[in-house]
Amino acid sequence: MNELLGVAIAAVISWINFVVIDTWMGLPESPGVKGAEFIARDVKKRGGDLSGGFFQGNIVCSPDASAGTLLGAICCFLIGIPQGGFIAALLVFVGNRLCADPGYAGTIGALSITFIILAGSLVGLTPEMFVVGMVIAIVTIQGLHHQSASRLLGKIAQKLGRYSKLA
Amino acid sequence: MIIHVIELYTLISYLITFVSALVVALLLKLPLLPERPMRDSWTISALFPTSIIALGLLAIFLQLNVTGFYNGWDVAVIVGVFSAFFSRYLLEDVFPKFEMEESYE
Repeated sequence: MNELLGVAIAAVISWINFVVIDTWMGLPESPGVKGAEFIARDVKKRGGDLSGGFFQGNIVCSPDASAGTLLGAICCFLIGIPQGGFIAALLVFVGNRLCADPGYAGTIGALSITFIILAGSLVGLTPEMFVVGMVIAIVTIQGLHHQSASRLLGKIAQKLGRYSKLA
Repeated sequence: MIIHVIELYTLISYLITFVSALVVALLLKLPLLPERPMRDSWTISALFPTSIIALGLLAIFLQLNVTGFYNGWDVAVIVGVFSAFFSRYLLEDVFPKFEMEESYE
């Protein structure tokens, strides 16, 4: 498969994977730690959405499905499929517990991307495409425009019934 | 063909460690699943994180070429049993539960 096309497809798949898992696991509902709340309040002050801000703050402050997806792809690239994904899931779980997080989102993200990479390898998508794709996916959430990204994340949270009750 | 047989043995090893971790964890009276809502639960269960620990540890052992005497299957059983005992008796001491502050609720 053409490398650029592969990276674009991997970026879209990775984006959907980590945003859906993180939202489903309740990241937009409340801040896990104080740092996440500060980020969310700041994003809201600049015209963003509070719930989307909680999502952005939480993925900065602990390894959730975004880190699980990225680490899963890196470990599959370095170690192999599926053993890399299993090792990534264990490391993400340890990281989660150190960051005061039960660890469901991160481990599910690492395991799901492992199976996605396994399926993608059948159509020519390689683990390195997913590594680059995931970096691009995280940049769209954290690196381009916080306000727009938080509003989009807030709408997704509303659709999945995970919108924050905090004001 | 040889590679395919080795991959099949490896996949069976993962299946064995998953099942042995699950069975021993249930025998040690860990619940199968955390209570709902699961995303907020810190309960240690047979499925999470016992099976995740078992799969991750076995992957590390196999990657380090620690395959035991029977294509990694014996290592898989030992890792599964160890993971269940670790989750039941040591996990809460190694990674203590986090107490949420009232202001976040």
